[in-house]
Amino acid sequence: MARVELQITRRNFLKTAFAGGGGMALAGREIGRAVANGLTKLGTPPAWFHQGEIKTTYNYCDMCPWKCGIVVQTVGDRVRKIDGNPLDPKSRGMLCARGQGGVSFVYDPDRLRAPMVRTGERGAGKFQEITWNDAFDQIAEKLQAVAAQYGPESVAILGHTTGDFWFTDYFAQAWGTPNAGKPSATLCTSPRDEAALLTTGVAIGGHEPMDWDAMRCIVLMGSHIGEDTRNTVMQDFMNAWGNGAKVIVIDPRFSSAAAKADYWLPIKPGTDTALLLAWINVLIAENLYNREYVEQWTEGFEQLAAHVQEFTPEWAAAITELDPELIRTTARVIAEAAPAAAIMPGRHTTWYGNDTQRMRAAYIINTLAGAWGNEGGLYFNKSPYLEAYPHPPFAITGSAGGCSAEPGAETAELPAGPSGKIRADGARTKFLRGATAIQELIEPMITGEPYPIKALIVYGVNLLNSIPNPERTLEALKKLDLVVVIDVLPQEHVAWADYVLPEASYLERYDELSAVAYKTPFIQVREPAIAPMYDTKPGWWMARELGMRVGLEKYFAWETIEEYLNTRLMSIGSNLEKMHEAKGVVIQKGKPYLADFNGASPFGTPSGKIQLFSDELAVAKLGGLPEYEPTAEPPEGYFRLTYGRQPVHTFAKTQNTPVLNEITPENEVWINEDVANGLGIRHGDRVWLENEAGTRTGPVKVKSTQRIRPDLVFLAHGFGSVAPGLSRANGKGASDARLMSQYKLDPISGGAGMRINFVRLVKEA
Amino acid sequence: MATYAFLLDLARCIGCQACVVACKTGNELPLGTKYITISERTQGTFPNLQGGFQNHRCYHCTDASCVAVCPTGALFKEDGLTRMDRAKCSGCTYCVDACPFGVPVMVDGISTKCDACTAVVKAGGQPWCVKTCPSHALMYGERDQILAEAQARVESIKARYPNAQVYGEKEAGGLGVVVVLPDSPEVVDLPVDPQPKLLVTGWQKAVQPLTLGLTSLSVIVTGIAAVIARRNHMQELKTLHQAETAGSEKAGEE
Amino acid sequence: MSTQVQTAPPRKILRYRVAPRINHAVLATSFILLLITGLILLWSPVSFLAAGGRSGVLHRLGAVLFMLVPILYLIDDRRGAKELLWDSFHYDKDDVAWLKHILQYFMGRTANMPPQGRLNAGQKFHHASVVIVSAFIVVSGLVLWFAKGSLGADGLAMTATVHDISMLILTVLLVGHLYFTFVYKALPGMTTGYIPEEEARLEHSKWVDSLPDEAPYKVNE
Repeated sequence: MARVELQITRRNFLKTAFAGGGGMALAGREIGRAVANGLTKLGTPPAWFHQGEIKTTYNYCDMCPWKCGIVVQTVGDRVRKIDGNPLDPKSRGMLCARGQGGVSFVYDPDRLRAPMVRTGERGAGKFQEITWNDAFDQIAEKLQAVAAQYGPESVAILGHTTGDFWFTDYFAQAWGTPNAGKPSATLCTSPRDEAALLTTGVAIGGHEPMDWDAMRCIVLMGSHIGEDTRNTVMQDFMNAWGNGAKVIVIDPRFSSAAAKADYWLPIKPGTDTALLLAWINVLIAENLYNREYVEQWTEGFEQLAAHVQEFTPEWAAAITELDPELIRTTARVIAEAAPAAAIMPGRHTTWYGNDTQRMRAAYIINTLAGAWGNEGGLYFNKSPYLEAYPHPPFAITGSAGGCSAEPGAETAELPAGPSGKIRADGARTKFLRGATAIQELIEPMITGEPYPIKALIVYGVNLLNSIPNPERTLEALKKLDLVVVIDVLPQEHVAWADYVLPEASYLERYDELSAVAYKTPFIQVREPAIAPMYDTKPGWWMARELGMRVGLEKYFAWETIEEYLNTRLMSIGSNLEKMHEAKGVVIQKGKPYLADFNGASPFGTPSGKIQLFSDELAVAKLGGLPEYEPTAEPPEGYFRLTYGRQPVHTFAKTQNTPVLNEITPENEVWINEDVANGLGIRHGDRVWLENEAGTRTGPVKVKSTQRIRPDLVFLAHGFGSVAPGLSRANGKGASDARLMSQYKLDPISGGAGMRINFVRLVKEA
Repeated sequence: MATYAFLLDLARCIGCQACVVACKTGNELPLGTKYITISERTQGTFPNLQGGFQNHRCYHCTDASCVAVCPTGALFKEDGLTRMDRAKCSGCTYCVDACPFGVPVMVDGISTKCDACTAVVKAGGQPWCVKTCPSHALMYGERDQILAEAQARVESIKARYPNAQVYGEKEAGGLGVVVVLPDSPEVVDLPVDPQPKLLVTGWQKAVQPLTLGLTSLSVIVTGIAAVIARRNHMQELKTLHQAETAGSEKAGEE
Repeated sequence: MSTQVQTAPPRKILRYRVAPRINHAVLATSFILLLITGLILLWSPVSFLAAGGRSGVLHRLGAVLFMLVPILYLIDDRRGAKELLWDSFHYDKDDVAWLKHILQYFMGRTANMPPQGRLNAGQKFHHASVVIVSAFIVVSGLVLWFAKGSLGADGLAMTATVHDISMLILTVLLVGHLYFTFVYKALPGMTTGYIPEEEARLEHSKWVDSLPDEAPYKVNE
């Protein structure tokens, strides 16, 4: 509309100008400009929002798993801009760099365009196009062959990102496999969630329940807000900072968040538990804990007090290489702000294999501060009310879950599949509790123990860049009967698929509703802004097509996704149309504070009290109280490999997104400047990283900086993919995953401790 | 008429790059072009460190050197901001060299820099960078209010940053980006005194009108003189001819 | 005995051979091109013509042609160039006297002007100025073309000022040049190469006398 209008304006203007003699000079200038513009083709086009009618759709972001509510603006058939939804409790109208880059992700020319079947060796990346029909017929046949020979449990389904529900949860349960896993559990949040379940009986869930608005003291333990750019967390953190909350950052690296801190504790890696025990010691020894809260809501305080008596700041100082007075001071700062003080649970907590105990120590401090359920401390998340789709009973119950851990306590029995088998990941034998340990599903593919896994469906999991020991993963991939990969981009692991199913991106599809457990629970809807591009299809459609071919018709009784969604929304008196009118989000009332429970206990432990001393862990001989457990030191010439985020990329997913790739095309290896100088390595040099097993990655740029301790190097995660289909990201930077030849299994949560790998820097030949 | 300005709070900026990408996608900037560049700053040695970010962008100077040197009027001041009509740019790159902050860059032969989201603001919106900033380090509004906010923010962070200061109140005639600095300007490579040089502004203000004026004057003067002088010359030639003719006649007579 | 001359048919004098005429054409074309593409930057009502940098390209093309002129002289008229330069920078007492009466000449009166050689003092002065100012405009132009990035704001302003003022002087010289061409009907010298002997004698009697009395220097009309 706007463009047409402009053209008319110009023509009219010329006419008038020619008609009136006085306008001649102006007309001449106008013609001259038109000629000049024509010559140079430089006419500035009007801004996109003046180029036609704007169609607005509501969605939740898929650029990271945080799911900010977004407003998508489309002109014609092209998405032009994504903004935060001002009504959404998470985005509040703002977005991070990745969310802003969504348009570029969708229009990445490297996207997978049509279903393909493998023609060469597995891993060779040779494929030919196939129709969706043929692809599903063949996949269904092979899945049923595996089920017939080994049982349906021998199909593993791994999923990540916002559409994984259809495969890891819905299809997996309908089909009957307990071997459905997500990297967000045991490669990320399991320790903090299991620790929470063991201590308070309340899972942390997707969103750390920090009561930011009223916080007076924030403790970040490895959480690097600002590099980890979860939108809401950045907003809340900086607001709290602006309100004058004291910030304590425990990090061996001077992170962006550490630069904002009032107290930075440059701790020796792997010694956090010692610091936490010393803090507990100070809080109790100096009588700084919330006695009333402890008496009312906890059990095991006497054992705890006795346990930490010897863990003085001086004891911890020798281990953590921190000043004992700084340890004392910071403990007092926490106590002073209590109960409006908390150690942030964080997300990626699978560090050294003893992580659940470290998280328990942190939660004990939060308890001594009286933070749980008090304003300014840690509120109680509530899930929104929303009924599930009324499907017939599943073949197996217990989904893979997201960040919150299932299936819960040790006493709960693990669900078995149709042929009687429980999970193959070693739950209850190798580790005590927790969600499916995704990395432990690799082993049965190779060894056939406890039973073989023969088929694998991968939805959005970057197999080789997320699961440690990628060499083992490759070995496993070679042994499988069937590998199906569903993705938007030709990621590294796509080359190992038998069938590649290209998915329509989040802006091109309806999807499962996002029901967010939060201080104010809410429900987000995903509306397609444009039709699926190329020959791509939404995940829900693929799950259904597959289901219909393997005898699961009864679970997919809905004809269209709209029907499915409207059925679910009926339970809250809504439907898709109403959700659109409500601008994509419905917010419900929460129950965040202790006071909201009218004296009843919100804590889910058997006694309804916070377990400072864990009976369950004591019985399992895993330690009723947290203890500091030293981790191996790097050998001479090697550095501990730590890893984390940088602001514009998510995992190994967005490195190829043009606009984000432009900002950060590759990662850098951080090393202490003085150490680098000693090695004759300069800032900006390119080096290879080599671990003890001789595995190499790189070359990668050196960031020689004062911002890091001398005994470790740091690498932003997700780079160094070897994926020729990713024209921008292929081979850029170094892959931390490739260097993780080993990990240490957390015997409690099943988490894979990955910070136990050591690397050296090898100058580029 | 009200003038407008941005607030850029570098004490708050956490380096997340959201503004950079929002600016790129909102303005649909081609790959290779960006109006904002964020870079990490570190002072001190381990473990006694201070750090933050520079969020480098057009500062929208009131006395804008780029506007002063722009021969075509592609760069101009409006509402206190330095706007740009890209269609007018001749690609002379004078602005690139004149800017005391090193902001404009040439992309495909056209000077390129932040235009304060002219189209968005005129359509009633907020500049893309401001709209998305998750750390509330950016604001946009009437300059008086922005300045007051900046001063209030500086006061509120003095405990954390004793050297905190407002940058841009007076610099270069007052900046359209009022910066809350946690420390001295040098820490983020901002010039302490970015005043435009007399020579830079004088060139456009004096030399060019002089050139045009004197050229025009010479054309006018000679134009008038030419008529008279040509007549004189023709007269002289005529006289010469008459003399010659007279001479020949005389000779013929002889 | 001058009657012999007077009774002879009117003659033309060879003012410019082919080579200098070509060189002059190149110089004139390039300068006009440079002037137009330069002036549009200074005159804001037409500055939109500079949009997109096309005029910048033409300006550089003009600059190359402009700088080619001395090289052309070296190739096609080395002696003429030498002579022109020598003449332009050497002034005798007639020249000085001539300059004293320049206002008369300016107003189209040659009657009382002292006798002049091939170049009158005004032309000498014009040529000398063109050579010197061209050096300035070429050097400043080359700096703006190739070294602008390393000038800094002050350096840029200074160089551009030198370039602008040089342009101003050359333009004023051009206006004067066109003025005298018009007043003294001098165009044919550059187009045909010949001028009427009687007009040549008015302004360059010393030179006309020094020329051999034969073709191609002096030919019948």
